[in-house]
Amino acid sequence: MVIESAPDFETQDLLINVGPQHPSTHGVFRMILEVDGEIVKDLIPHIGYLHRGAEKLCENNDFRQGVGYMDRTEYLASHNAELSYVMAVEALAELEVPERAQWIRMILCELNRLSSHFMFLGAFGVDVGVFGTPFIYAWREREALIDLFEEISGDRMMYAYFRAGGLAWEVPGNFEERVREVLVSTRQGMKDFDNLLTRNEIFLARTKNVGIISAEDAIELGMSGPTLRASGVSLDIRKSEPYMYYDQIDFEVPIGTNGDVFDRYIVRLKEMEQSVSIIEQCLERLNDGPIMPERMPRMLRLPEGQEVYIRTEAPRGEYGIYLVSKGGNKPWRLKVRSACLSNLQALKKMSVGQYVADAIIILGSIDIVLSEVDR
Amino acid sequence: MRGIIKSLATTMSTFIRGPVTHGYPSKHRELPERDRAFPLLLWDKDIDEPFCTGCHACERACPVECMTVIMKDNPNHESQDGNSKRRKIVDEFWIDYGRCMRCNICVEVCNFEAIAMNNTWSGHETSVYDRADLVMDLPQLMAQSKSDEIQEWVAD
Amino acid sequence: MNNGIYGIEIAWLDAVIRLHIIVGLMTVVVMGLIYVERKVLARFQQRLGPTRTGPAGLLQSVADGLKLVGKEDLRPRNADPWTFELAPYMVFIPVFLGFVIVPFAFGMQVRILELGLIYFVATSSLGIIGWVMAGWGSDNRYAMIGGMRAAAQGISYELPLVLSLISVAMVSESYNLNEIVLSQSTYPNLLWQPLVLVIFIIAGLAELNRTPFDIPVGESEVVGGPFVEYSGIRWSFFFLAEYAALFIMGLIFAAVFMGGWAWPLGEELGRGWQILLVTVKTSLFIFLIFWIRASVPRLRIDQLMAFSWKILLPLTFAQVLINGAVLVYDAPLWILTITGLVGIAVLVRLIERAVRPSPAISNEVVTAGNEGAS
Repeated sequence: MVIESAPDFETQDLLINVGPQHPSTHGVFRMILEVDGEIVKDLIPHIGYLHRGAEKLCENNDFRQGVGYMDRTEYLASHNAELSYVMAVEALAELEVPERAQWIRMILCELNRLSSHFMFLGAFGVDVGVFGTPFIYAWREREALIDLFEEISGDRMMYAYFRAGGLAWEVPGNFEERVREVLVSTRQGMKDFDNLLTRNEIFLARTKNVGIISAEDAIELGMSGPTLRASGVSLDIRKSEPYMYYDQIDFEVPIGTNGDVFDRYIVRLKEMEQSVSIIEQCLERLNDGPIMPERMPRMLRLPEGQEVYIRTEAPRGEYGIYLVSKGGNKPWRLKVRSACLSNLQALKKMSVGQYVADAIIILGSIDIVLSEVDR
Repeated sequence: MRGIIKSLATTMSTFIRGPVTHGYPSKHRELPERDRAFPLLLWDKDIDEPFCTGCHACERACPVECMTVIMKDNPNHESQDGNSKRRKIVDEFWIDYGRCMRCNICVEVCNFEAIAMNNTWSGHETSVYDRADLVMDLPQLMAQSKSDEIQEWVAD
Repeated sequence: MNNGIYGIEIAWLDAVIRLHIIVGLMTVVVMGLIYVERKVLARFQQRLGPTRTGPAGLLQSVADGLKLVGKEDLRPRNADPWTFELAPYMVFIPVFLGFVIVPFAFGMQVRILELGLIYFVATSSLGIIGWVMAGWGSDNRYAMIGGMRAAAQGISYELPLVLSLISVAMVSESYNLNEIVLSQSTYPNLLWQPLVLVIFIIAGLAELNRTPFDIPVGESEVVGGPFVEYSGIRWSFFFLAEYAALFIMGLIFAAVFMGGWAWPLGEELGRGWQILLVTVKTSLFIFLIFWIRASVPRLRIDQLMAFSWKILLPLTFAQVLINGAVLVYDAPLWILTITGLVGIAVLVRLIERAVRPSPAISNEVVTAGNEGAS
């Protein structure tokens, strides 16, 4: 039976403003939803509420001072953000980073990936609608991780620990034991999440076949990181263009098949297992040695007229630094290629035609950090 | 349904494991020695004057320009029949804690190990009603080192 | 049994006194429940919960209440004044009316109604009107979506709830809550009606707008739904209604399924023991609801409706038919236990089938090996 719609019964679509102060917009992201009943007809994202001009500020600061600003572009994975920056500077200055510094950097970056993914799991769990429990689980494990970062670098979020050439200072003596200790609790946290969410029928019903994006669309939109890999594209910069010593490490890249919200969740969870294994391998190869090159100038100056683009695999995807030097101790131009910004482009494509509740979890599954989007 | 029961079992297991948080304002976590709060000036107990010579190194290196330093001739210098080897010494020193981004660069550039990051809780609990109260002057910056309240940690 | 309290024989005066006792009790219980919920949820989440007000945070609800009373009563300029301001009462009064029939112990209720269960269902469903009024009157789009969701959900889950209560009433052969309790003095109804018990809990969760059915108030979606514009004392009325409804649902659960004060120690107990028994059974239900709240995500509105109309409703209908057949032909009651358990199995199967991925799309996460990356 075909139900004929009454032609003269016109309904108006409803515009809902979500954000910048909404419980689940992950910072100051704002989107305007055009809804027909519960179905999203259109979605207009508004970004820029957190623009601080970090790139421009870096152009007025030397290479040591710039590290602090990089922390603030990606505050959930500051080590990864710092890494791109110092690698760009090192590439231009042709600095050879000591082996020990590289291993420590790798360990810290992977630990930071863990803490960032925990943050995702927690926030995503709350978006899906569990009352706070995943958030507290995530916080519990992230707390252990940032306690460790605090013991190493002195700060809990804005580490300012990497320097062009190596590290700011030596790690504490009990570094290895502490990392292993933290990994034990991390494993427990991952297990808790797995038990709490992965097989829960309501969670599956909410996340499976929701917000699907195909591999082609994902590539066209310039997505990267777990959000891209969930669509089945096996692109991990740690594998495809190994930097530091990732080519000496044995790890796998989990990819999804469906590109839906559930895949984005499970890919991250599996990625965390890989991170734990990477850290363990790094710890085995960690040896004594210097953490800064022997002949390090007091004030680092870059050669004139050179440019470099360095990209690394941050927890949210490709975090790239484009650095142009015209001599002197400051960059002439610095551009941050933000994975979050590119991933966020897919929001409309994923959300239109879905339910309002789905739009929220789709946004959560992209895992944005607004300070990285707006910089 | 089995998945939901698994979820219920997970939350019950954490119910049994007990709380991991503690009541913060009444109970403080022990801070690691490297903890970075805000920069402080250190007091040279042997000579009874600050280590800082007011050389402006930290002021120039600060990415956010939160420091203001004024230097003077040291009245306690040997040439003035004093017991200090410092020809110049800090006269006034202001740090705007509201601007400071706690990057540790001032500590790194200091040649006299005269500045250190506060690694006690007093450095973290600095809420005030007026932003102007966050601008610290020399006596305030010295107070904790003078009274031996901090065990500073400076990277080598 | 309505012999009057304190020897007062005038019927209306007696009722008024009883009502006042109930109102006082309800307020205290609600404040207690809010505290307990915060503590229990905190424990599930490995937190401490309220600790600052009074010993172990016991006075938290008092502090909250004082704060709410002291707050300014705001009304948005474009809100519909009558609908907006009357909505809290429309939510609160029906819940409060429900207290007329619930038995706390033998003879301890306001009135014994012959159609007690029907009365309970009729009053509790009135609350939806208040939700829609709040949603519409606030002139806020979140509130409107929330109100509409509340209406859809409330109406849908009313049916399984009513039918589940009816099938219990069939077994107990009465709508009178007192007689239902008395009929369970040897075996509680949950033995004969396991499926209905599960459905009652599910539909009860939906009626109470609790996780996983807190769609109308879903914080991460509609920011509190119909309540988003309310503040101060009006908002606290909604809160009061929510927890009072939770308490009533627990009492009904205790009376209808767990045998109230009559099971398992017989009906000859003293008042104190009866009240304790009812309290324990009610607490069990409330703890279960808190536990579920800490553990499961929220459903989506279409899944919620489909679950009610496609799964719960047919199952309850089937249960009612089976009950009828068993009772008419005087078959032994254990047949009902078996069919109920089979029904639960069917329910579990249906839920799991609903989330199973369709064969066309495999949701296996494959792991690319070292060679696979390029």
